[in-house]
Amino acid sequence: MQLSTIRKGMRVRIEQLPQGEMRSHFIRIGLMEGVTVSCLERLPGGTIVLGLHHQEVALSDELASAIMISRL
Amino acid sequence: MEPVSTPHRPHKHLRTEKLPTDPLKPRIVLVGNPNVGKSVIFNYLSGLYVDVSNFPGTTIEVSKASYLGYEVFDTPGIYGVSSFNDEERVARDIILNGDIIVNIVDAVHLERDLFLTQQLIDMGKRVGLVVNMMDEAHRQRIAVDLDRLEEELGIPVIGTVAIKRKGLEEIHELIVRAAEGRQNRTLHAELHTMLSSVGSQGEALLVLEGDTIVAERHGIPPADIGRREEIYIDRRNRVNRILQHTVTDMETGKRVSTVLGRLSVSPIFGFPLLAVILFFVYQFVGVFVAQDIVEITEGEIGKGFVEFHIKSWVARDAATTIGVEILGLDGEATVQRDFRFDDGISGNPALWRDLRAFIDGNDVEYRFTYDNPWLILFFGEFGAITMTLTYLVFLLLPLVLGFYFALSILEDSGYLPRLATLVDRSLRFIGLNGRAVIPLILGFGCVTMATITTRLLGSQREKTIATTILQLAIPCSAQLGVIAALLATAGPQATLIYTGVIFGFLVALGTVMNKTLPGKISPLLIDLPHMRMPQLNNVTKKTLYKTYFFMKEASPWFFIGALVVSILQVTGALTRIMGALEPLVVGWLQLPREAATAFVMGLVRRDFGAAGMFYLDLSAFQTVAALVTITLFVPCVASLMVMLKERGLREGMTIWFGSLVLALLVGGIVSQILI
Repeated sequence: MQLSTIRKGMRVRIEQLPQGEMRSHFIRIGLMEGVTVSCLERLPGGTIVLGLHHQEVALSDELASAIMISRL
Repeated sequence: MEPVSTPHRPHKHLRTEKLPTDPLKPRIVLVGNPNVGKSVIFNYLSGLYVDVSNFPGTTIEVSKASYLGYEVFDTPGIYGVSSFNDEERVARDIILNGDIIVNIVDAVHLERDLFLTQQLIDMGKRVGLVVNMMDEAHRQRIAVDLDRLEEELGIPVIGTVAIKRKGLEEIHELIVRAAEGRQNRTLHAELHTMLSSVGSQGEALLVLEGDTIVAERHGIPPADIGRREEIYIDRRNRVNRILQHTVTDMETGKRVSTVLGRLSVSPIFGFPLLAVILFFVYQFVGVFVAQDIVEITEGEIGKGFVEFHIKSWVARDAATTIGVEILGLDGEATVQRDFRFDDGISGNPALWRDLRAFIDGNDVEYRFTYDNPWLILFFGEFGAITMTLTYLVFLLLPLVLGFYFALSILEDSGYLPRLATLVDRSLRFIGLNGRAVIPLILGFGCVTMATITTRLLGSQREKTIATTILQLAIPCSAQLGVIAALLATAGPQATLIYTGVIFGFLVALGTVMNKTLPGKISPLLIDLPHMRMPQLNNVTKKTLYKTYFFMKEASPWFFIGALVVSILQVTGALTRIMGALEPLVVGWLQLPREAATAFVMGLVRRDFGAAGMFYLDLSAFQTVAALVTITLFVPCVASLMVMLKERGLREGMTIWFGSLVLALLVGGIVSQILI
């Protein structure tokens, strides 16, 4: 399933990241396949705030739909 | 555990973009992710004197200062050394030229930040690590073993709470002890074989990581993206391993985070909180600074004292007519008298005494008309020197200081990225991403200032859209004051129509540009820093830098703008433009013919335009039509100049003409429907 379908409070595992420059950036901040993230907030319109270890990262709906996840 | 490499001496034939540097002083470069407290540490090292300049070929500001026998460079916040955006490209070149790297990381976000640290080490640089925000880590029950970290990385490490100045005294020793850390041996060996063609290990690494710009400088092809990913994943795994040994979560699974930080991005509380913040910002900047302070600085000090003295000094020996109007309580002229000095003021002291007696104690407006057109050009009503001085020093300076002060507080508190997150979706409709909220809000202060700030946007497309919206649909604070006063007289219905039209226009303009301009909106990916209490010391320093930088950059344009208008006035072109506009104003906009003057004055300063409407005795609907036109109308000359510089001649002029046509079109349609 896509990360964009995540609901507030859910914890999921990252299965697949998009290719290209964005992927390099995700690796730099520690967002990689196999990592567990949680949804801290979900705004109207689909922008989500992810908890990634101690970081809080906001990403737009569009970007989230390019990331595949599985439920824990 | 990875093997430790031996230090080596890199070849010295760097060919990178450089800031002017002193060859005798070792260069310290501060490097870190965004929001790790880098600026506080830079301030600590730099003392009072800082040299802010644009990095060659870019619009990124770089600060340089002296610290003991060193030169210290600040760099933009980055997540890694590469060429993904302008900030990274600038930081990359400064790092490549640096001798000692002071890397600042956030104790809570080590997982993210140590990636950059390890990359700097892999570049073969001498690095010292500052683990900042130790108090925040403590609060979140995260224990960081600094000794172990030092051992794992092979570089000196210190812990600090920069904003409280804790631990900063150790930075000097850190700089002295900075060392080449433990590198990935396989990678290191590979880099060494490249040295003959690439110059330095740092550049070799970047070539391997696919940096096309660095590769091109050395005339070799960059490695493909797969190689970069391999290196990145290796590095990421190494960082994760180091973290396992050095960071302990004392309360696993339970996240402690500031309530305010979370509320600010919550769908229910986020928007009311934003409203409260905007209200306070408006009270401070829009009411306190823009009205109370500026009334004193511009009215009393600028016009009443400084300008009056300059003008009368110029008129000492030059033939001049001084018109004086005594203003009543409502600000309208009650008595008017002209004083004629054929041989200058010094030639007729008796008349000068008459004039002083006439003014005595009253609220006055005066107008110096010199016989010599050159004097009019520089010291007359729109004199390039006198007007620029009053405008810049006594109107704009307090406003810009106020705005940057408020902005620095919001920035240091960690609120801005949350604001960008909150409004991202809404801004998408008008073709922008959440980051654009900052220039848009600044526009309500000064459109010129906001136009410069569009630099922080990610793509040319976003810069174009944001600039256009700013120049057309956002009224600046100077204008807002007058608009509010006029709308107060015109009533709530008029206010509603005006706000509706401008807002509707803004949305329509953004939507159309979003649909027609090639490319698409860059997606939002932003990390939210901790919410923190801003420190007055740092906020003040930031405010001063930003203000200084803006004034330095914008001042010449205000002067040139004033000169252009002055020339138009002296040559009579201003009158002809007004004459040409009259039929349009009377027939199409259905306003009195004097409104043409007000519109042309809007060229000089947008608020002059709106202020001219005060005396026209307009009906409520006429007021709406006039204000809509004047809001959308061409921006002030200074903002036009800055726009031309930022966006280029062609695009800038297109926006300018577009605003002219759209202002008359929309204003006219409103007038035709209402009246």
